[in-house]
Amino acid sequence: MFQKKTTEQIKAATRPSAQKKAGAFYNNPQIRAIFYQTLLVVGLLYFFYAIVNNTLTNMEASGIKSGFGFLSTAAGYDILMSLISFESTDTYLRVFIVGFLNTILVSAIGIFFATILGFIFGVAYFSKNWLIRTISTAYVEIFRNIPLLLQVFFWYFAVLAALPGPRDSLSFGEAIFLNVRGLFTPKLVGSDGSTLVYIALGIAVVGIFVLRSWAKKRQELTGQQFPLLWGSLGLVIGLPLLVALFTDLPFTVDYPALKGFSFKGGITIIPELMALSLALSVYGGAFIAEAVRAGIQSVPKGQSEAARSIGLKENKIMSLVVVPQAMRVIVPLLNSEYQSLVKNSTLAAAIGYPDLFNVFVGTALNQTGQAIETIFMTIIVYFILNMMISFLMNRFNNNVELTGR
Amino acid sequence: MMSNNSNTASRQFVPTPAQPAPNMSAGFVAWVRDNLFSSISNSIITLIVIAFFVSVIPGIIDWAFISATWSGADQSACNKEGACWVFINAWSQQLFYGSYTDGELWRVNLCLILLALTVISSFTLPKSFRLKLSIPLFLVLPFICIAILDGRLLGLEYVDTDYWGGFSLNILMAAAAIIISFPFSFLWALGRRSQMPLARSISVILIEFFRGIPVLALFFMGSVMLPMFFSEGTNVDKLIRVWLVLIFFMSGYMAEVFRGGFQAVPKGQYEAADSVGLSYWQKTLLIILPQVIKVSMPNILATFVMLFKNTVFLLIIGIPEIVQTLQTALSNSNWLGGWAIEGYVFVFLIFWVCCFGMSLLASKIERDLDTDKRD
Repeated sequence: MFQKKTTEQIKAATRPSAQKKAGAFYNNPQIRAIFYQTLLVVGLLYFFYAIVNNTLTNMEASGIKSGFGFLSTAAGYDILMSLISFESTDTYLRVFIVGFLNTILVSAIGIFFATILGFIFGVAYFSKNWLIRTISTAYVEIFRNIPLLLQVFFWYFAVLAALPGPRDSLSFGEAIFLNVRGLFTPKLVGSDGSTLVYIALGIAVVGIFVLRSWAKKRQELTGQQFPLLWGSLGLVIGLPLLVALFTDLPFTVDYPALKGFSFKGGITIIPELMALSLALSVYGGAFIAEAVRAGIQSVPKGQSEAARSIGLKENKIMSLVVVPQAMRVIVPLLNSEYQSLVKNSTLAAAIGYPDLFNVFVGTALNQTGQAIETIFMTIIVYFILNMMISFLMNRFNNNVELTGR
Repeated sequence: MMSNNSNTASRQFVPTPAQPAPNMSAGFVAWVRDNLFSSISNSIITLIVIAFFVSVIPGIIDWAFISATWSGADQSACNKEGACWVFINAWSQQLFYGSYTDGELWRVNLCLILLALTVISSFTLPKSFRLKLSIPLFLVLPFICIAILDGRLLGLEYVDTDYWGGFSLNILMAAAAIIISFPFSFLWALGRRSQMPLARSISVILIEFFRGIPVLALFFMGSVMLPMFFSEGTNVDKLIRVWLVLIFFMSGYMAEVFRGGFQAVPKGQYEAADSVGLSYWQKTLLIILPQVIKVSMPNILATFVMLFKNTVFLLIIGIPEIVQTLQTALSNSNWLGGWAIEGYVFVFLIFWVCCFGMSLLASKIERDLDTDKRD
C-alpha cells in the first residue's frame, strides 16, 4: 500500500522493541488495520445478508413479486396535474415521468423565487434605512425558524383555503382570476404561423449571448458601457413581437371563463402548487438571504471604501464591486440551499401536490406494494437531481472563484 | 489634595464647559435623519413602510387581542371579528401531551425535567468530571425516559405508544435522536478521516446516503421498508422505527459537523498526544473529543434546530405530534368553525420561540468561543 506513514506507524517503527525484533504481531498497526477492516466487512456482509434474506422471506409471505415488471402495467388512477397528457390507463412508467416533471416544475419555481427573495433581503440587510434592515432581519429570523411543513400547511389550509369561491373570485382585469380552486391565467394559443415567432425567440436568446460578448469586448477596448439589461430585454421581447406583427399575430388568447361551478380555459395553477412554491420560496429565501449576508460580510470593507473613493454610486458599489466578490462565498452556500430545496419539495406529499414522491412512493407504492423498487427509483432521481445541481453550481463557482496569479 | 488646592482654586485651570454637539448630529433626531431619512429615496421608502405598518398592525392587534375571545367553554363563545383563543385553551393539553393518559401526565413532565437537568448539568458540573459524568448521563437518558413513559418496567400504569404525542413528543423525540446519533456520527466522522481505505469509503457512503436523500423518503423507508428487514414475526414499534430513522438521518449531518470539529482542532494537539504515548482511543477520547465538542457546539445546536423542525414530519406517517394533533382538533365536529389561523399561529409561535431561542444560544456560544481564541 502506497500511503503516507501515519504517526502510529512511525511510532511503531521507531520503538526500540520494533528495531530489535518485530514485536508482538498484534501491535503492528498495519496488521491491526487489516484486522479491523476485515471485521467491518464481515460484519457488514452478514448484516446485508440478514436483511436481504429477511426481506425475501417477508415478501414471499405477503405475496409481493419483486422486479420492475409493474412499470409496464396500467396505473388505474388519475393525477391531479400533469405537464404531459395522462390518462388513468397509462402505465406506472408514465406516472413516474409525470411525477418527475412536476417535481422539476415546483423545484424550478422554488429555486427561482427563493433566489430573488434571498438576494433582495440579503442585500437589504446592509441598507442605510433602519426599517429596511429590520424587515430583512425579521424576515430571515421568522421564516428560518418555523418548520417548512408548517409553512406549507399555513399557506394551504389557512391562507389559500380562505380565498373566495369561484363565483366571487378575485379578478385582475377580468383576465386573471384567483379563487379557492387556484389561479387562472390566460394562455397564448399558437396557430399556423406561430413557429416563426418561436424561431425568432430562439434567435433572440442566442442574440443575447452575442450581444453580451460584444458589449464586454467594447467595454474593454473603449471603456464605454452598454445598457445590457435593457438591450437584452428589448431583443427578447422586441424581435418575436416584430415577427408576430409581420405574420399577422398568429396567436389567440384563451381566457379563463366561469362555466358552471368552475373556470374553464386558460392556464390553471392549482392551489397545491401555489402553496408549495410559496412555502419553498419563502423558506429557501430566508436561508439564501443568510448566505448572501455572509457573503457580503466576507468582502473586506476596504473594497467598498475604495469604490466610494473613486466616486461610484451606492448601487453601483453593490453590483459592480461587492456582490461579485461576495459570490465566492455565496455560490457554495447556494449549492447546498438549492439541494435542500429540491429535497424539501417532497413535502408535496403532505398537501397532495402530485410530485414524484407523492405519486410514486405515495400512491404507486400503496397500489402495487413494490416498496423497495419505488423507493429505490425515487431516491435515485433525487440523488441525480442533486448531483446535477452540484455540477452546475461548481461550474458556476469556477467562474466566480478568485483566480490565483 | 482637595484641601491643598482649595486656596489656590482661583488660579486653577477651569476648562470651559464643552459646547453642545452640533444640532442634528446626536440624539434621537440625528438617528432618525441618518437611519430613516438620509436621502430622498430612503425617505420615500420609510414613508411607504410606515404607511403599510400603520394600515396593517392595528388590524392584527385588534384581531389578536382586543376583539379576541380568551375564555369560554366552546366555540359558541367566539366571534368572527377576533381570534378565538378558546380553541387553543380547550386543546392545550392535547397539543402538548397528545392523548397520554390523564392522571399520568407527571411522567411526561418528569422526562422533560430530567432532560433539562441533564442539559444544565453538562454546563454547570465541575470541569474535572463534567465529561465523564454527563456523556453517560446523556446516553442513558433516552432509555430512562422510555421506561418512565412506557411504565411497565417501573411497575407504573402501561401507556401504549399510540397515546404518546403532542409537543412533548416533538421535544423528546428530537432529544433522544440527537443523543443516540452522537456515538454513530462520531464513529462515522472518525471513519471518514481514517487511513483505512475500507473504513473510509464505508463511512463516506453512509454519510452521503443519509444526507443526500429527502427526509421524507427516509421516513417512508422507516415505515414501509424497515419492517421487511426484520425476521418474520418481529414487530418493531412505530415510534422506535421513526427514532431509528431520525438517528441515522441525524448521524449523517452530525458526522459532517464533527469532521469540521476534528479539522478545527490544531494539529499540535494530535502530535502532543502522540508524543506522550497515548493510544489511539486515549488520544481521541481524552484529548481530541472534548475540544471537538467545544468547537462544534454552535453547529451542533444549528443541526439540532434542523432536527427539531423535522420532527413535524412524523405526522406524515400518522404519529400524533403537535401539528397532527392540531389537524385532528381542526376537524373535530365541535370545533368546525374554521379556527385554522389561530391554531397555526399558535404552533408557529411555539416552534419559533424554541428554534429562535436555540439559534440565539448558538450565536452566543459562537461569540464566546471567538474571544477564547483571541486570548
